[in-house]
Amino acid sequence: MEAPQYVAARIQQALAEDARTHELGIHVDVRGDQLFLRGQVSGNDQRVRLGEVAHEAAPDLRMHNEIKVVVVNEPGEDEHLD
Amino acid sequence: MSTLTEVRIAAVGDIHLGEDVRGEYRKRLEGIEERADVLMLAGDLTRHGTLEEGRVVADELRDLPVPVVAVLGNHDYHSDLQHEIASELRDAGVTVLDDDGVVIECGGSKLGVVGGKGFGGGFAGKCASEFGEREIKDFVAHTRYIAESWKIALKETQADRRVVLSHYSPIKETLEGEPLEIYPFLGSYLLAEAVDTAGADLILHGHAHKGTEKGLTPGGIRVRNVALPVLGKAYAVYCLECGE
Repeated sequence: MEAPQYVAARIQQALAEDARTHELGIHVDVRGDQLFLRGQVSGNDQRVRLGEVAHEAAPDLRMHNEIKVVVVNEPGEDEHLD
Repeated sequence: MSTLTEVRIAAVGDIHLGEDVRGEYRKRLEGIEERADVLMLAGDLTRHGTLEEGRVVADELRDLPVPVVAVLGNHDYHSDLQHEIASELRDAGVTVLDDDGVVIECGGSKLGVVGGKGFGGGFAGKCASEFGEREIKDFVAHTRYIAESWKIALKETQADRRVVLSHYSPIKETLEGEPLEIYPFLGSYLLAEAVDTAGADLILHGHAHKGTEKGLTPGGIRVRNVALPVLGKAYAVYCLECGE
């Protein structure tokens, strides 16, 4: 059986190198038969694509896509650099 | 009698635009002329560095009521179309820096902006050296070349205030929150050393999504990590006083 660390590394590599995603900052955890994805992306489509690519890389694992879409708020207070 | 004016710099990095979010970021820039005199973009404007994504970015930035200065990031280089993306942006009126500088007139003051993508290598005491295999030497030499280019550009830039715009980080303080193991891929102290030598008032960078906004170079220059996930807002605004 492949060690979970190698499975996680393979999934992370797929998320970074697959042409559909190219996402570098996603945290991948494998615990038993479960796969957890965490991080932040700029849109919901990218979040969904990351889930698809991760599932293809490890189809036997039950995936929990906990990736968040970055909330872009209005600009806040200015910083004065004196 | 001298009076003080302020230059207001809006800054953000890592906006990672694509066709599916076309028009969304532009909405966030509405009214920017009320808040800032210039917009600076610290790289990773696209996701995969495709020309299609580059055109989305160009369309989002076209005809903004304030000058826009940008550098590219590692994502914008991924498809080997960085020159074409830069060209699209320039056609849309964006000044794209590539290890050089520009001077912008802001409300009667001259604001110098120097920069480029930057690169990695790590931080003093825990960094790669130009030693051993050709690949390692090339990696470090690339950063060294960039740092030297910035130093020269800063020295040649005559302005009231000078800002350095980068994608990679010049210090590790603004990387806090990122795994220590990847620091060498997030920035290099050579960039800070060059800017400390030549002098500047502010350094802006992105790249480190899990990092921290505020830091200082060893020489005391303020550094701000303006990656969108760090800011959590469309852009930050930094105000620099200028003598008149």
